[in-house]
Amino acid sequence: MSRMSSDNFLPPMSGGGMESRKKRAVKRCPFMAAGWNTIDYKDIETLRRFITERGKILPRRITGVSARFQRYLNIAVKRARYMAILPFVAED
Amino acid sequence: MKENNQQYEGMYIFNATLSEDARKKALEKVTAGITGRGGEVQKVHDQGRRKLAYEIRGSREGYYYLVYFTSATSKLAEVWKEYQLNEDLLRFMTVRADEVKENLEFKKLPE
Repeated sequence: MSRMSSDNFLPPMSGGGMESRKKRAVKRCPFMAAGWNTIDYKDIETLRRFITERGKILPRRITGVSARFQRYLNIAVKRARYMAILPFVAED
Repeated sequence: MKENNQQYEGMYIFNATLSEDARKKALEKVTAGITGRGGEVQKVHDQGRRKLAYEIRGSREGYYYLVYFTSATSKLAEVWKEYQLNEDLLRFMTVRADEVKENLEFKKLPE
């Protein structure tokens, strides 16, 4: 029952005592690795990398983005959508 | 007592069917709304005609401007109200800015 949630949970800091059954590759936040401190809504090229073809924001479980930057990303994507830079829903 | 001005950036989408003159005038109207209330326009980026990701009021294209300005926060509501009445302005957004960006290129995120 609780397997699902603990499986998807990535400890915020590595080196914690959490022992997982399967060894997972260590994911690092691409924004933290690059030393960014904000995400701009005008930066379409970057935003595009974190949304699906339909325009949905990818979960950080897949992209490895840290919680903080996922929050920034979220705001940036929504601003871009409002300004018709990115679609709310992309058809075809 | 004078309120301190805060740094903002505004993005404006104008109707792409406007003639160049009409568009210039429309932009002037937008900046006048800021300067007329004690604000200061610092930088205007002409981002040109761009395809909209979805239709806004029947338009599939828009003409984008990005304006860096300072304004008293309490005056913004008035400015927005004025913008809402502007028919040529398809959409606008004002967000707080940390700095005036001279160029709008972004660092690439390494793969």
